[in-house]
Amino acid sequence: MTIELQRPVSDPIVLDDLERLSFRVDRRAYTDEDLAAQEITRIFDRCWLYVGHESEVPEPGSYVARDVGGRPVVMARGSDGVIRVFANSCTHRGALICSQPSGQARSFRCPYHDWTFSNRGDLVGVPLPDGYGPGFRKADFGLAQHRSDTYRGFVFTTFDPRQPRTLTEYLAGATEYLDLIDDQSEVGMEVIQGAQLHGARANWKLMMENSVDIYHFRALHKRYVGYMESLGSVPPRRRGGFGSALGLGHGANELPPAAARPLAYWTPMFGPEVRPRIEATAARFVDRFGPERAERITGTNRAVLIFPNLMIIDAIAITIRKIDPVGAGRMAITSVALAPKDEDPDIRELRKSHYLTFLGPAGFATPDDIEIVESCQRGYLNRTVRYSDLSRGMDKEVPETTDELPAREFWRQWDRLMHGDDGHVEVARRAEARGAEPR
Amino acid sequence: MTTELTIDEAARVRLWHRVNQFLFREARLLDEWRLVEWYDEMLTHDIRYSVPATDVRGEAPGALGLIDDDPARLRQRIEQLLNGEVWCENPRSRTNRMITNVEVLTDRGTHLDVAANVLVHRFGHGRSDAYVGKYRFELVADGESFRVRRRVVVLDHETLYEHGKLSIIL
Repeated sequence: MTIELQRPVSDPIVLDDLERLSFRVDRRAYTDEDLAAQEITRIFDRCWLYVGHESEVPEPGSYVARDVGGRPVVMARGSDGVIRVFANSCTHRGALICSQPSGQARSFRCPYHDWTFSNRGDLVGVPLPDGYGPGFRKADFGLAQHRSDTYRGFVFTTFDPRQPRTLTEYLAGATEYLDLIDDQSEVGMEVIQGAQLHGARANWKLMMENSVDIYHFRALHKRYVGYMESLGSVPPRRRGGFGSALGLGHGANELPPAAARPLAYWTPMFGPEVRPRIEATAARFVDRFGPERAERITGTNRAVLIFPNLMIIDAIAITIRKIDPVGAGRMAITSVALAPKDEDPDIRELRKSHYLTFLGPAGFATPDDIEIVESCQRGYLNRTVRYSDLSRGMDKEVPETTDELPAREFWRQWDRLMHGDDGHVEVARRAEARGAEPR
Repeated sequence: MTTELTIDEAARVRLWHRVNQFLFREARLLDEWRLVEWYDEMLTHDIRYSVPATDVRGEAPGALGLIDDDPARLRQRIEQLLNGEVWCENPRSRTNRMITNVEVLTDRGTHLDVAANVLVHRFGHGRSDAYVGKYRFELVADGESFRVRRRVVVLDHETLYEHGKLSIIL
């Protein structure tokens, strides 16, 4: 088995110089429509992509319809309880078989000719079947099912039938962070109803970078910091914590909280009434996990980037942010809140309230992030300035959160995939070494 | 047949007119960035200002929205907007609010339930955005005029993909 890599050496986009400790990205990466089209085929058509959380399809028959990697899909829990991801396109002529964003259905009926599919994807109804010849078999026309899998409640799919990695292998070191989030409830986590559907007139990668960039926090988000200070929460200037590269493009920041956390970390901004309840929850976590891991779950903020386009930020609330490219110069952002299913109602209200203070298109921070990435995109119109710099912390063994290691990890994987190195080679080699057939 | 209004009709027209004048003044103060005046003179001390998420549109109790301000957070929002800290509203965007289809839905004695359609044009930082929605207000009497106690703006957009953000008060 030989796999040729296409690695053009001239005209690189990512200039990663470990000797000079310089990391630069050619700004064409944000503006070039050809590169944007290549990202779809080389990244979004190959990777495992986040679809949704299993709590969004809680019962047999529940479904959501949304775009993933530019493709309309349906995530449905079949009558058999199994979650599947289907192409949202009739196998007859292609119309969407599901035009509601969410709901309950035993079957999906295409409005064009009334072809009907069960919520397990089987074609169960074709009007006027006599019109087809004897070779026509309904079994050949079931909905196209994408390979999908779930890790700790997070449902992913891949459009690459040759994707060599299982979901767990693909998530690499990011599984640790998904564990730290899903461990926050014994009965499971749930997406709170009400999605913030917004966007920006900027390249999608700018928002990925922004979401793991702690360096900008005190500069760009002065007004949020000021508001927190007015509530008695003063974030220290240097907060400690560390940034990490989790492999395969994933990265994370982990740091002590600047403010309260609704799960089990009380500060005065939450008010005295809920203090006993929050402290009792914290004690239960110590019983369940021991003091060290309990502290990491309840008393630590984290932001994890899962390549290519998922951000999970676990701080004053948990947000799941799916960032989709719309050509080179635009993006669509879907943000939802994740919370313990068994959360105390008063604490749920606090969580939602503080979520809205910071996050979303009308929060005290996110609008400035939107504006700044749009400003970067406008700045790139001046092509005289060719590169962006992401070299902070390259000389450190354990970079701080204000360094740019997670963003570099993202870009290194981006560069590998854009050069056609999608991991097939490495996984095939490993499989050969084990004497097994590559998947 | 008479063209004169009955006493009851005349009272309703007067009420409708007063409500219109109130909403128009509110729109003007917001357009002119006279936000402190708006806060001090046109809202109750227990004002709640919300913009529900565009997917559930306020139909789902317990859902997360886009804005759900109590008086403290609304006051903070105003201070930030006025002191130039809101980077995306500095320089201040120009806005133009169109209020129409004003209806007094119910007169509950203690307060009025008022509905209106609103179109807010926003221009700034090289962009022009239009926010289209419905006002659902609870007005309480304040002398000859009113104050808003509950101020819900239900957006009609399916998403804010185009707008990106909502940095003004709708």
